[in-house]
Amino acid sequence: MFFHKRNTLLTNQYNQFILITDEVIAAVRESGVRNGLVAVISSHTTTGIMVNEALECLESDIDNALKRLVPEDHPYAHARILRSYGSTAGNASGHLKSMLTGYSCLFPVVDGRIVKGEAQEIYFMEFDGPSQRSYTITVQGE
Amino acid sequence: MGEVIDIHTHPAFFEAICPNEELLEQRRQALGLYKAGATSLAHIHNQMQCAGIDRLALLPLDLTTQENQFIVSNEEIRQLADLDPRRFIGFASVDPYRPDAADALEHAFGNLGLAGLKLHPSRQNFSPSSSMLDPIYAICLRYNKPIIFHAGMSLEPNTSMRYSNPLEFEPVAARYPKLRICLAHFGFPWVLETAALLLKYPNMYADTSLLYFDSAREFYDHVFKRILGEYWIDRSLRHQVMFGSNNPRFEQIRMVEALRNIGWRAGTLDLVLGQNALEFLG
Repeated sequence: MFFHKRNTLLTNQYNQFILITDEVIAAVRESGVRNGLVAVISSHTTTGIMVNEALECLESDIDNALKRLVPEDHPYAHARILRSYGSTAGNASGHLKSMLTGYSCLFPVVDGRIVKGEAQEIYFMEFDGPSQRSYTITVQGE
Repeated sequence: MGEVIDIHTHPAFFEAICPNEELLEQRRQALGLYKAGATSLAHIHNQMQCAGIDRLALLPLDLTTQENQFIVSNEEIRQLADLDPRRFIGFASVDPYRPDAADALEHAFGNLGLAGLKLHPSRQNFSPSSSMLDPIYAICLRYNKPIIFHAGMSLEPNTSMRYSNPLEFEPVAARYPKLRICLAHFGFPWVLETAALLLKYPNMYADTSLLYFDSAREFYDHVFKRILGEYWIDRSLRHQVMFGSNNPRFEQIRMVEALRNIGWRAGTLDLVLGQNALEFLG
């Protein structure tokens, strides 16, 4: 069996953590797949999919760590007009943060339920918002 | 902290006036914004909130005789302004070559209630000091409406730098001292010429919608602190520079942030970010 859906969202902050665990669990249920894998994949290059514990303190630490590793004010080569877009690329930090978190995650599905650790939650990470975004959930199995 | 007004935005991709993909693609090609997508009102509000912007001036462009099209019409601007009158300030545009140009402008001010006029000499292919424009300027004076002129380089197709040197606008400023005119994009690359004109003509303004190289902070630092003297705007031109972004080509959030950190006095920032726009709009 193969199940695929696209979820869209409007982000409203420049950098934003958005929990999507419930949406992924619902998609697994909707898919009817009993045993297989579920993949969550962002459709963008300045967003991420991150798995971590959903605690306010950790969100703050992760946000600060990303900002330390990828400061906004740095002479990025990407800061220029892109002719193919006709607009300015000022979002190098978003691309680099996306590289650090990755753009996808994968979990097993057993007996119709996603198998994940107690502390594991799935986040859609915005690194160049606000924006109109989407991600896909794909469930494959039997 | 006062109201923040972005005096220079292009609403061509607002979802409410982009009903189909064909029109969206036509506008992408016309503006040279090749990957722009339709944007919802909710997204625009989110962008404004994140950037700390309270109001946007929405600019149309009438290209009837040159390209047989509008890039957003005056009626569409009215439609958008009515969607959110608290946040949107609607400007008019008129192609000066149209035989009915004066009537169209009278309609835009008198019936549609638009707040000012956008003219683009480079793309509309006219000299700002041509006598053909005299009736247009007279209508603006009669209605006490300002004009935003495109000035300096443009990344749009079909648009050379002819008629965009700030010096092209000096005869207009001199002949009509009560007409408030803004040189968009600070006239880049002729920013020294723009600064000289602002110094001489109190009815001339310029906006900050320039981000042609580098990041917003780097480019503003280069233009406003190295090409221009570091204190020129803060000391001498503080009442004539207005925040403008040229969104969606340039990015509002980082531009506002860069201006807030450029080192001007707090009072100057308030003027540039909003109060000057209120004076300009009358």
